[in-house]
Amino acid sequence: MSTKANLANNMLTPEHKKRKLEKIYWISLFIVFGIGVYSIITGYFMQGMESTYLSNIVPWGGWIAFYIYFIGLSAGSFLLSTLVYGFGMEKFEKIGRAALLSAIVCMITGILFVFLDIGRPDHVMNAVIYWNVTSTMSWEIHFYIVYLILLVVELYFSMRNDLVKVAKSKNFKGKLSRFLIFNKQEYTDIDKGKDKKRLKIMGIIGIPLAIFGVHGGTGSIFAVLKAQPYLNSALFPLIFIISALVSGTALSIAIYVIKCKVKKQQADHSMIRSLGSMLALFIGIEIIMVWYEFLVGFYGLEHEEIGTLQLIMGSPYSWSFWIFQMGFALLFPLILLVIKKTRESINWILGASVMVLIGVVGVRFNMVIPTLIMPKIDGMPYGNYYMNLSEWLTSFGVIAMCLILYTIGEKLFPIDELDSHEKGVSKHE
Amino acid sequence: MAIHSKSYLQPEDYSKLADQFVPNSDKVLATSPYDSELGKNMARDARKVINGKLKIEDFHRVYSASLIKEFGDQYASGPTEPGRNSSTSAGTGPKWGMVIDLKKCVGCDTCTVSCKAENRTPPGMSYNVVLETIKGDYPNFSITNLPKPCMQCDNPPCVQVCPTRATYKMENGIVIIDNDRCIGCRYCMVACPYGSRSYDFGNSYEQEMVGYNDVTSPEYGIERGKRKKGAVPEETVRKCSFCYHRLQRGEEPACVETCIGDARYFGDMSDPNSVVSKLAASPRAFRLKEELGTKPRVVYLR
Repeated sequence: MSTKANLANNMLTPEHKKRKLEKIYWISLFIVFGIGVYSIITGYFMQGMESTYLSNIVPWGGWIAFYIYFIGLSAGSFLLSTLVYGFGMEKFEKIGRAALLSAIVCMITGILFVFLDIGRPDHVMNAVIYWNVTSTMSWEIHFYIVYLILLVVELYFSMRNDLVKVAKSKNFKGKLSRFLIFNKQEYTDIDKGKDKKRLKIMGIIGIPLAIFGVHGGTGSIFAVLKAQPYLNSALFPLIFIISALVSGTALSIAIYVIKCKVKKQQADHSMIRSLGSMLALFIGIEIIMVWYEFLVGFYGLEHEEIGTLQLIMGSPYSWSFWIFQMGFALLFPLILLVIKKTRESINWILGASVMVLIGVVGVRFNMVIPTLIMPKIDGMPYGNYYMNLSEWLTSFGVIAMCLILYTIGEKLFPIDELDSHEKGVSKHE
Repeated sequence: MAIHSKSYLQPEDYSKLADQFVPNSDKVLATSPYDSELGKNMARDARKVINGKLKIEDFHRVYSASLIKEFGDQYASGPTEPGRNSSTSAGTGPKWGMVIDLKKCVGCDTCTVSCKAENRTPPGMSYNVVLETIKGDYPNFSITNLPKPCMQCDNPPCVQVCPTRATYKMENGIVIIDNDRCIGCRYCMVACPYGSRSYDFGNSYEQEMVGYNDVTSPEYGIERGKRKKGAVPEETVRKCSFCYHRLQRGEEPACVETCIGDARYFGDMSDPNSVVSKLAASPRAFRLKEELGTKPRVVYLR
């Protein structure tokens, strides 16, 4: 926090500007969140699923797409954080806690989205009580709970040394930290060693949990559906995992760079560059997988699968495939991250990451909706689905809640490493 | 005669009337090659069974030996044989199935209408639909009408994926939904290859049809009274149950009963002598999307 104090002393005007910016940020977030809450109450709670444009033909829509989007962000950011805590790649240590926090917040957001999609919230505990062992969704619900607990515990241990430091201050943050560390006075080297070991174990446990349990599992919710030949392929969960890595890496880059820009801190160029090349690698793998998925799909000659592919690529909704999935999520960022001039520039890397974050929304929509629009049996009608105003407002409200939660987390806990900042700044100065 | 008289007919008048059309039982039974006394005794005791004075097991115990003596191999019923009352024990009881003869179907949608009337499904939901596909161009074309209820698969994908075990397969072959447990996640709808499941969005015909909400169908034999906003089964998934509530009182499903061309057959698939089993063994028989391995209990005759 010393950097903040220095900033306040030396440069009053930028600090002033920053406060104003922050105010605008909070106000706009709370307005969007408020509208979202209003639309949840008037739509979801008062009218139920009738408030959406879902139908018996397209029973899953935008909220499910956003749900897998956020689950993907969470699993991706977590897998990135395991590079630090599981495999000890200290190069990325600066984004470790932020990645964990964003994993937690995105997980909560994803679960909230799927909760909104459930018709009877009063029955929802049945999914925990009556466990159907053959149901992937039932396994997912249990995995999400375990995963969320693991994330929280891991984040706690990763920032325990800084919590001890913060606990010495007298403000609310200090009080909260004192409560969280059970009034621990000193953080010794023994503690440090222990925590490092704990983090490593949790990171290693977390990898299979995130891959098999959370994201591969979410992919297999869709992949096991033999009624949907487009989804019913063994590659599908893998595409889920790899696109989780893509979006998670992009999220971590975007959060780190934007945070540095707002706080006027020097960003760690070499780390961002290596994250950028990692992002390019993941995008490359995803392109390979998607290519083979479509190739095998076309050669399968299955009427419904080809129909679905035609819907994705050639229907009035195909802009979401060509612009969002192919453009924003795969090709544009890949080009940006490969060309020498742009891959060196932090702004371009940030641009590529933001593009990915927007594009992957389209990827998720294309996973859920076109296959449902395609009729299952000849003679059944085609579905017609697009999100209505209520669904959009609710979605934006929930996304605003996600940002609010993340920012509160950043404000309350020492998400940035206290030492490394000073080091990082001094290194570049 | 009675029509012109002022007083109403008394029960004994009806018996007198009936005596004129009902043939004498002794005379009729005498023409049969089998034992008349046995038939009359069995008829008398069968009435006792219906009245509850005699247990069905005792009835079988008394008559089994004489029936075997009388009918030999043709005798196929007995206390250990499947009967509706013994369906509680595992592996016995009927396994319901349906056969739909597409050559007899005229595409009149009577089944859809009667299903809607019987199950009182809300707007936008129909447990039974008739899919009409036209092949070829005029004048060389053919129309296929494909009535589509729930297939009641033996390997139901919907049961596989339900996170709460709210939908499951009953012993009698019917896949049912426990609406009190269903969380409304609609995963089963996405998993069903036949599009047989619908979600109750809470719509109602009340505005067009006064009193629509006053009565609901006793699906799965559960009386839920009035259809109330937010009460089960609203916001849960619903589907065809082969009119389970009708089966319980010994009636056929509504679509089978009302089919004008008699294109639908309903019966016990586990009984090899039943009409449905025989029809299902015909070379014309096929099932929808057989390659998926769901083993539907609805068989079509091409």
